Amino acid sequence: MPTVIYILDDGTREEVSVPVGTPVMKAAVANGIDGIVAECGGNLACSTCHVYVEDGWGALPALSEDEDDMLEATTAPRTEQSRLSCQLVMTPELDGLVVRVPESQV
Amino acid sequence: MTLTPTESGPPRSPVDPIAEISLAALNADPYPIYARLRAHEPVAWVPALGYHLVTRYEDIVTIERNPGVFSSAEDPSVVVRAIGKVLMRRDGESHRALRAAAEASFRPRAVRSWADRFRALADDLLDDLGGPGPGEADLFADYFRPLAARALAAVLGLRGVSDTELFNWSQDMIDGCANHAQDPAVWARNDAAVTALDAAVAASSEHFLANPDDSIVSAMLHVDPPLDVDDVQLNVRVIIAGGINELRDSGATATYALLTHPEQRAAVEADPTLWKRVFEEAVRWIAPIGMYPRQVVEDTQLAGVPLHRGARVGVVVASANRDERRFTAPDEFDIHAHTAGHLAFGSGPHFCLGAWMARICIGQIALPALFDRFEGLELANDIETRWAGWVFRGPLNLPVRWRRDRSCPQ
Repeated sequence: MPTVIYILDDGTREEVSVPVGTPVMKAAVANGIDGIVAECGGNLACSTCHVYVEDGWGALPALSEDEDDMLEATTAPRTEQSRLSCQLVMTPELDGLVVRVPESQV
Repeated sequence: MTLTPTESGPPRSPVDPIAEISLAALNADPYPIYARLRAHEPVAWVPALGYHLVTRYEDIVTIERNPGVFSSAEDPSVVVRAIGKVLMRRDGESHRALRAAAEASFRPRAVRSWADRFRALADDLLDDLGGPGPGEADLFADYFRPLAARALAAVLGLRGVSDTELFNWSQDMIDGCANHAQDPAVWARNDAAVTALDAAVAASSEHFLANPDDSIVSAMLHVDPPLDVDDVQLNVRVIIAGGINELRDSGATATYALLTHPEQRAAVEADPTLWKRVFEEAVRWIAPIGMYPRQVVEDTQLAGVPLHRGARVGVVVASANRDERRFTAPDEFDIHAHTAGHLAFGSGPHFCLGAWMARICIGQIALPALFDRFEGLELANDIETRWAGWVFRGPLNLPVRWRRDRSCPQ
């Protein structure tokens, strides 16, 4: 099963096995990763599953207009690495994806 | 309740946190009751309501993660009786279809495009209140309430409707949505409000079908796939019933909180980026919508309590937001300490559609405009601020005074 590495705000690295087809947000919530709040449960209605993608850019899905809009509302500053983890659905190519969890989501 | 004699002192009641719950006590101040329920009976059957009240954060998150077990399509439903089968009482695709038509209009970018209008509406109301010399006002009745109504009328595109009509309709529908006692007088007011609001929406729709603009009613009629006028009316009922008092109460609560916490007020006046935190903390502290229902569609259990098919649960987000397992010193208003996610906007598929409207209109515009405007703003210490409600909660008045209107020359 492919894995995702979450780097928490305190620097801890948590490696989680994520089934293909599962959003990176859902895997974080299921594994109790601190700092992924995911208020709206993946409906692109909040922006509280914000992550910074550190490594694995090449295989990411394209940014939709709606995700782009919601990223304008993140609490931690948006950077070129910013994505909403509910929109990052696991694929075999994303194996080893590294995402950093921001200091704050709300 | 039976009283048990004790070896010394007067008779004492046995520990029974539930026996004492009355709707009147919840209405006056629900928070001590919620604290007892969280400690002793986190899934509590309350006969006076016919609901199990769920009061812990973790259990509420479980409910919202499992919409297939805890349905929003409650039946029978007092909300459906009041304002029809609106999106918040539907599940799945039927919910998606109604919500999707309005969603684009409520995303942050769309809401920000209205910022100048919101600012002008706020300034107009402050102009009416202000003037040379000291002043006083009831910010509930004279600022937040009319601002909420005017802001929603503007973004919806309702024409020829006064703010008084809108907030009266909103209140009449809110009372209908909470009419568990089936009071016929409440139904009569509710039904008259729905009829009048529907007529206003129908008139606006007729105009927008031929002349589209950037208003929400127009957007819902022209989105792909479009809503028909009946469904637009359903959505506008929700937006008015569930929008005006939330904008109003979040603003009034945040103002009260700052006026009673001078250090935090000084912090936000020195650093305006903190307004965002003020808003979020205010709705955590006193959630404008304190409880909403779900209905169990298959036998399950929650916190060890069996819940059978058909059982109704009251999701008490106001209590989750004070859960000591989640927040330290949860009864305190503290913009610096409480940064974990609150549940005032709900969570999951029914996450509040209007969250960004409230965050921007109230948190980013109405509150800073008010505090920037009046020097020496303080609570009027001879008039009490009164609070009520538990399903919906907020102040009933907000009497203040100030030394000087900064827009007037000294």
